Amino acid sequence: MSARISAKTLRHLIVIGLIALWELLPRAGLIPELFLPSLSSTLIAGWTDAGEYGHALAVTLYEVVVSMAFACGGGILLGAIVGSLPRPRVLIMPMVSSLYAVPLVILYPVFTVWLGIGSESKIAFASIYGFLPTMLATAAGIQTIDPQLLLAARSMGATLSQRLVRVIIPAAIPTVLSGLRVGGALVIVGVVVSEMLISSAGIGYLISRYRTILDSPHVFAGVLLVLFLAIGFNAVIRWIERKAAIWQTGTRAGQANDDIATGAMQPAT
Amino acid sequence: MQPLANVTPLKPAARAGAIEVKNVGQVFKTRSQDVVALEDVSLEIKPGRFVVLVGPSGCGKSTLLMMMAGLRQQTAGTITISGAPILQPDPDRVGVVFQEASLFPWLTAEDNVEFPLALRGVPKAERRAKAQDALKLVGLEGFGRRHPHELSGGMKQRVSIARGLVQDPPVLLMDEPFAALDEQTRMTMGDELLRIWAATGKTVVFVTHSLTEAVYLADEVIVMSARPGRIVDHLQVQLPRPRTYEMLSGDAFGSLRDRIWRHIRKSA
Repeated sequence: MSARISAKTLRHLIVIGLIALWELLPRAGLIPELFLPSLSSTLIAGWTDAGEYGHALAVTLYEVVVSMAFACGGGILLGAIVGSLPRPRVLIMPMVSSLYAVPLVILYPVFTVWLGIGSESKIAFASIYGFLPTMLATAAGIQTIDPQLLLAARSMGATLSQRLVRVIIPAAIPTVLSGLRVGGALVIVGVVVSEMLISSAGIGYLISRYRTILDSPHVFAGVLLVLFLAIGFNAVIRWIERKAAIWQTGTRAGQANDDIATGAMQPAT
Repeated sequence: MQPLANVTPLKPAARAGAIEVKNVGQVFKTRSQDVVALEDVSLEIKPGRFVVLVGPSGCGKSTLLMMMAGLRQQTAGTITISGAPILQPDPDRVGVVFQEASLFPWLTAEDNVEFPLALRGVPKAERRAKAQDALKLVGLEGFGRRHPHELSGGMKQRVSIARGLVQDPPVLLMDEPFAALDEQTRMTMGDELLRIWAATGKTVVFVTHSLTEAVYLADEVIVMSARPGRIVDHLQVQLPRPRTYEMLSGDAFGSLRDRIWRHIRKSA
């Protein structure tokens, strides 16, 4: 227990140290401001143009949320079909797996031709980008359900739909969530990268534009914003994981879950 | 076949828990050939008996149990439980306990026990009360809120037994329920099972690989041969109850176990 706490403290210290270095190194003149502007000048740049960044963030967030809905919804749906039915699996899986190896970003210019340089092309690109891992994880999650559990449910008289709702879905949740984690992260990457390539709005666009005029503090303000976006997303996923997958044992959360569960035993319902 | 007015049907209570297996066969069709897993198996089990099925691996004893549970259809013959043929899983008549790992890991122990009741829409309060009774019966009072990964192997199997008993079926089918447990836990669970069986009066059909376990637990041991599975012996175990650890080293125990072993060695 004490070892874990000290590891956590150490992590915090490292982060604080990095932040301090970020401020001190450029100030001391050890790193040119063009390469790394100090934290304070980055924050000031962001603050003075807060309106611009706020608007960009709104655009990016909108694109991320819509893409995530497509990527996760579609990924889970198709993953469930592919995972539970052998025929579509034989048909689709080889295609999806090889598609996964293709650098999909090469498709983005095509999307801008089809859909213009507005949000639509970003959403299309990021959706496809995040869709693949979500789908693959869902399919794997359903395929790897312990058949013994389904047999047990059947022995207790569970109908097909009861087995789906009460066994297959809860059993697949942990794997699906890990797919969402990867898929969601890729959605953010997809949106920001496509904004940086060809667009007229969003954080990626701001970063790219300030870079061309060598305004490093403004570039880094954008980078910081993307960083927060990713951290926020990660926090949301972790929260969902903790809520939904409390039963999951194993290296990742087994011990912590024991603590949670025993703690929850006293104030019952 | 006209129904005769003057024939009074047997009271269901008189046949509740009786199992009748008549000329049952099971053929698995593969692309190249048909594999005969079971051939012409017939047996009769009286209500309240503790019957153990043993035999070499692949003799079809688990298959036979799955057919009694309605989880698999035989290709020949009939199986009746409590006087009516079993064509699909019927938790009112038959409870099933599997090997380890058949508890739902995302549910607490009591939610696992309630599961079969929840499937049929039994109200929450009634469900909870029945689950508590079943957990108490298997000696797990106070552990209802734990998840399976917080329970030991033996405790998990107690939960499985509670789940099999929660609807109070007259028959409990157990498919190598203690196979994954260490030997000490296995001995304890055997005694526990006998206690539960004595308290409830269920008909138990129990599949195992362990000859000692078979003789220790059973009223009757049914020995099956390797593929195609057939019944080669049907022993009555006359040892007094309650069974004790000392009996394991007795002559009566040893000769029964030897007799089973000779059958198995011959056919394996």
